[in-house]
Amino acid sequence: MPTVILLDVSLSMTRPVQLLEGIETTRKQLAITGINAFLDHLSIHSKLEFIALMAFSSLYEEKCSFTRDYNAIKSELKNIDDYDKTCIETALHGVNHMILTEWGNNTACQIILITDGSTGIGSKSLKESLSTLNQRNGGLPFPLPFPFPAKIHVVCISAANEPNFIKSKSLYQRLIDLSGYDGSIHVPDNLQSESNIVNLFQKLAEEMYTSFKGVLKCGNLESKIILSPTPVAYTKVTDFNTQTYNVSNLIDVCGFISVADIGSPMAVSRHLILPAGILQKPDASSNEIDLTDENSVDEGSTPSFCVLLHGALKVENMAALVSVGDNWFGFVYSWADSKKKSNLMLTILTPGSDVIPWLGDLNELGTADMFPADQLGTFPLRPNEKRSYSQNGVVWIRQAGLQSDIQKILRHARKLPEKTQQFYKELNRLRKAAISLGFQDLLSGLARIFERECLQLPETAHPDCSVQLQHAADMLRKPQNRDIKSMLMPLQTNYNSA
Amino acid sequence: MPFTLPNNKMYPANHKTVFVLDHTPYFGISCENVIEFEFLKGRTPTYIPMAPISKSLWTSSIESAIEYCRIVWDLFPTGKLIRFFASDTVAHILNGWNTSQQSLTHILNGCALIGVPPSPPSHRSSTPSPDYTVLHGLRAAIEGMCEPTEYQIEKLKNDNNKVLNRCRVICITSARDNESMKRLEEIFLTVLNQQNKLVAGNDSLLPIDHCHLVIINTFPINIESSVNNHPSKALSSLLTTEVHSIKAPQIPNKLSYLILEHYDLASTTVTGIPMKEEQNASSSANYDVEIFHSTLAHTAILKGNASDSAAIRTTKDGLEYETVTLKWCTPRGVTGNELQNCTAMHRITPVDVNSRPSLCLINFLLSGRSVMLEMPRKAGGKITSHLLAAHGGEIFIHTLCTARSVLEDPPSISEGCGGRVTDYRIPDFGLLIKQNTLLPIKTKSSNEIQKPTERVKERLNRQTKYWPLTINSTLIFNLKQCIDPLPSLIVKEKLTTEEEFICKKIIYNLISLETKMEPLHSQNTGQRLKGQKREEQYKAMWNELETFLKSNLHSDNHRSVYQCLLECHKFSFDDDKVGEKVDLDDALNQLDNIGATTKDENSQRASVIRATTDSPMSPPPLSNINTTFGRQQSRGNSIYSAQRTLFEIFAGQEKGKNRTEFSGRLGDSLVTKLYPNLKTDDRGPRDGAMEVE
Repeated sequence: MPTVILLDVSLSMTRPVQLLEGIETTRKQLAITGINAFLDHLSIHSKLEFIALMAFSSLYEEKCSFTRDYNAIKSELKNIDDYDKTCIETALHGVNHMILTEWGNNTACQIILITDGSTGIGSKSLKESLSTLNQRNGGLPFPLPFPFPAKIHVVCISAANEPNFIKSKSLYQRLIDLSGYDGSIHVPDNLQSESNIVNLFQKLAEEMYTSFKGVLKCGNLESKIILSPTPVAYTKVTDFNTQTYNVSNLIDVCGFISVADIGSPMAVSRHLILPAGILQKPDASSNEIDLTDENSVDEGSTPSFCVLLHGALKVENMAALVSVGDNWFGFVYSWADSKKKSNLMLTILTPGSDVIPWLGDLNELGTADMFPADQLGTFPLRPNEKRSYSQNGVVWIRQAGLQSDIQKILRHARKLPEKTQQFYKELNRLRKAAISLGFQDLLSGLARIFERECLQLPETAHPDCSVQLQHAADMLRKPQNRDIKSMLMPLQTNYNSA
Repeated sequence: MPFTLPNNKMYPANHKTVFVLDHTPYFGISCENVIEFEFLKGRTPTYIPMAPISKSLWTSSIESAIEYCRIVWDLFPTGKLIRFFASDTVAHILNGWNTSQQSLTHILNGCALIGVPPSPPSHRSSTPSPDYTVLHGLRAAIEGMCEPTEYQIEKLKNDNNKVLNRCRVICITSARDNESMKRLEEIFLTVLNQQNKLVAGNDSLLPIDHCHLVIINTFPINIESSVNNHPSKALSSLLTTEVHSIKAPQIPNKLSYLILEHYDLASTTVTGIPMKEEQNASSSANYDVEIFHSTLAHTAILKGNASDSAAIRTTKDGLEYETVTLKWCTPRGVTGNELQNCTAMHRITPVDVNSRPSLCLINFLLSGRSVMLEMPRKAGGKITSHLLAAHGGEIFIHTLCTARSVLEDPPSISEGCGGRVTDYRIPDFGLLIKQNTLLPIKTKSSNEIQKPTERVKERLNRQTKYWPLTINSTLIFNLKQCIDPLPSLIVKEKLTTEEEFICKKIIYNLISLETKMEPLHSQNTGQRLKGQKREEQYKAMWNELETFLKSNLHSDNHRSVYQCLLECHKFSFDDDKVGEKVDLDDALNQLDNIGATTKDENSQRASVIRATTDSPMSPPPLSNINTTFGRQQSRGNSIYSAQRTLFEIFAGQEKGKNRTEFSGRLGDSLVTKLYPNLKTDDRGPRDGAMEVE
């Protein structure tokens, strides 16, 4: 999960702190020590995380864009100046912009706001910002909730009993609540101990980057896996329901579907599936070959089900449908990045079994030999009702629609009697629509157009032309033909029987 | 990270919409907006003037309302319900909330039945003129909104939650002036309050929690109306109203603006679609097609770089909304055969459904091809931001991920656990995948206890009871010519007598191969086979086959096949008298293994043998697994199951740590010749084997 370290560099951060050892330092310096400890922890345990550093006071400044090079951030921390007052709203706008330009609105992010308990003064103070939340007429709306999933962690470099902190705590909590995800507020037990601050940041890093450990299972075959990035819970809001879904530790294969049939559905998130060590089966008597008795097991050369699954899915160009939670599904498939490094990928779908219309209910899929042939369908599933664009419906909202429908009839009229069927089919389509829409002017108008066509027919025209046109005009005028159920039929003439 | 959303996204007003259409005599008058027929003019010198054709106010309003429905139902096939009420002397109800009545055909048929508005009452008529007013329709609409929809009933039934009954009424009418419009709104509010009181004690009806009344005041183009627009304002906590006063031909445009707001939709204009000219098929010109879809399809690009997003947003002439212009990107290769990183997916519908460019784009997509859409970037270059594709006759816009990915620079799977193993049984697993390819089931299994997916999981479970991952860890699956189709039959849930016979025949055939001392030819010649002596090959094969069959005792017929194997081949764990002697045999084996020295010797011995015959990567010999297996089965619920004493359990645990039994002790005879093949040429391949890997 990309993380923004948002460091308060207002003047109040320069307040001196007397450490227990007698050395004098500042709150800012303590914060920097903490951030360094945080980064050190990451470089050991989660070195693939992207971290950015932003400093703020009444303005904000992107000190270091998202990077995995934590030393770059550390060296940036060495030259941070002091500025004026704290303005958290401005800083959050900065974070919003920074994350949106880099990661878009789909990547879950974390924000660590490091401040000292003073939330600013005047119109740009956090208190003022929060109290005018719903009164931003036309102005810039408050940045929370962010358009992307984001957790906010507030670290307050202050004593827990400082009046400033006690006052601001509820404001910080309000920020976290507004963000919509459960963040946290941290304050050191003892401001005068550097090691206390270091511990706080290390603990925070541990909490923030717990990796997902689970099992990928296909029948009796299984493999311990790590998902990267760690999946987060998802709240699905429909017209009548709000429900939060959690990813289970068991990713269970429910069958296979060809990648072409799946057709790029919407994904909540995507995760790399990394096989994690050898699975110590609790049931040691199972029929699988137990390799763990060899003491020095080389991980790379111990067979892993993940690698087998990846290979077979890639060769067959198939994906495995997996359940990732209660009534929640995903697809596992082989994915290659631009460098053609192939890997096993998990795409997590929106929760629910009916999220891909063309695959139908994902709980109602079976293999070909489980059901009689007449009960099996094929992908893609088609909806019962056709959409308007494949129905050849009548829309005359723009004049061009009506004009082209009439022109079409006249084109057929000139090619009578060969086009008798088409002429009457189009005529009936137009007549039916006109009756439904109460467009009587059109029916009489069309009758006149037909009569005019008769007069303008070239001498070479087939006699059927004028006969049928006149017949159609007469029929259009008859009031009993204003019934939607009646159909105009061609006049039987000697010409067309011949 | 649980996410609690403000409640206002739930129970949207657009779940229930009622159109109230004025069907009074006034709506029978013409809009005075003459339809041009250019193609009729001047084709011949004998020009006959045509009487002008113009839509009535009724035609204008009904066709606009129907277009509104067309868009809604194209984009939301379920859950967004619309009813039609026409009002003259009474309210004509054209459809209900029932899903079966939520279709254009149903409404168009209803319209045909009520026909054009009645002609105005003649002044000379002695009978008092009937009361023509839109109020009948509005009153009926309020009653209609109290009727619960199938979704609301379901929700009420499921968790007894209170359902917020929010709805919207769109009324197309014509009022004299602002005063009468105001009165109309007030009457509506009064009726709404009355109705809510009426409904209060009634379980089958729902009170209205909020209603959004949209009034479209319309008139012919040659008239100026004295009714003013007013933006939405709350008349009470129950009712918000707004008035739009427009000329009849403008109703469709107004409704397309309103529909975007009502259903949270956005417009995209696909630009630069190459189309063959009708007249000149060899040349092609570029066209634009406008489509509607959920605004969420745009979130990713519009929330990103502000200057980029400003550049693609424009407002078309005469329209009140913005459209985002994205460029058609002629597809290269097959895009459908890859899972795109798609962050959102929404149905689309063309705004002008019957225009030639729209039809062209629609048919292109419906034929199965897909189109990428590109967005230009201020910084230069462009980015593929969307994918248009049809699935099962429905067209969707897929929002592609345009941002940086956290999965940057991932390790290859070959760098991780198991990545260096090269002999995975990939073709065999491919076969398993093909056999477990999913298809949709037509009949819903609502009453069935088990969902099809669960059945597939069970099936996968059954088919992988014994499934070695690599070629080197199995022998029988490499001997396809000898044992097929037994592996595919034995994993079935049930065996027919015929299949049982086939399996047994395969066992008999193996026996006869063994007696003829035919070498076992492996398809995927692993080096282990070469190094092994023929007897050992057979031994390994029998042991693995036994393990395989034992794992798959799904039915009596399966058991019969397994029994057949036991009868045909004598296994290390059994004696001549399989059934009765098991306990004794077990005990003897255990006795043999109690002495620690014996055990150590054995295991040392085994590892020495392994070290000289196998490559270091080889899994332990199969015979080893089999001993483990033979022990285990006497515990399980197999045909051998028997009560065990504490000693047996203890001894069994001891033995579990054991390695291979010396093959000489496993046979019938107590005397075994050491190195029986020492002097034969069979040793040849061993050296070769060592070189592999």
